[in-house]
Amino acid sequence: MAERPEDLNLPNAVITRIIKEALPEGVNISKEARSAISRAASVFVLYATSCANNFAMKGKRKTLNASDVLSAMEEMEFQRFVTPLKEALEAYRREQKGKKEASEQKKKDKDKKTDSEEQDKSRDEDNDEDEERLEEEEQNEEEDVDN
Amino acid sequence: MAAAVAAAAGSGPAREEDSSAGEAAAPQPQAPTSTPGARLSRLPLARVKALVKADPDVTLAGQEAIFILARAAELFVETIAKDAYCCAQQGKRKTLQRRDLDNAIEAVDEFAFLEGTLD
Repeated sequence: MAERPEDLNLPNAVITRIIKEALPEGVNISKEARSAISRAASVFVLYATSCANNFAMKGKRKTLNASDVLSAMEEMEFQRFVTPLKEALEAYRREQKGKKEASEQKKKDKDKKTDSEEQDKSRDEDNDEDEERLEEEEQNEEEDVDN
Repeated sequence: MAAAVAAAAGSGPAREEDSSAGEAAAPQPQAPTSTPGARLSRLPLARVKALVKADPDVTLAGQEAIFILARAAELFVETIAKDAYCCAQQGKRKTLQRRDLDNAIEAVDEFAFLEGTLD
């Protein structure tokens, strides 16, 4: 491999936290063991990616998708991960959907306000940054909108 | 409760990641959820994505795929830590050592792909 896996490490703090939560109270981990686990996690991701990519190529797709990864888990004999991963995926999809709907709703609200502002709009025609004008009037409601 | 305080205090001095990039300070770029059960991913998706892109055969990876890989990596860390702990327990030690990890890798078939990669 040209790329060295150890250059693509995952953050130590997060790895340590995951380990500590997996182990009983009072159990410690040596620095060497922790960094070895961190490297192992990187190798795991690389290996899983490679396996998943095989499934994508079999399906004549160029983009890795979730089911490729799940198939890779089974291939790597980590079937026990499949169920929790499927649950996590569903939760993730719900959250993404919720985020999308929330931002679409905000867009709708923004458009409504823009329409009512049309009378005052004398300067700019295509005004993407509505915050500047609205800031003076409806600052409270528009506070969340950060573009 | 004393144990929780001790654990919290114990995690303080263990922080040796000052030398690592600033990303260690921001492990959760995704919107944090308040309910613990809904905590989706602790590993930063950007880092996982970097690992995925390191594979020359991979063209593109969807966001869901990256997310599942991150979650799978977390599960993997939990699994290997627990398996390594079994070895330490047999030695009646309370600190996980590197050799516990090596033993686990040799003992568990699923970890065979790790052999020779951690040195």
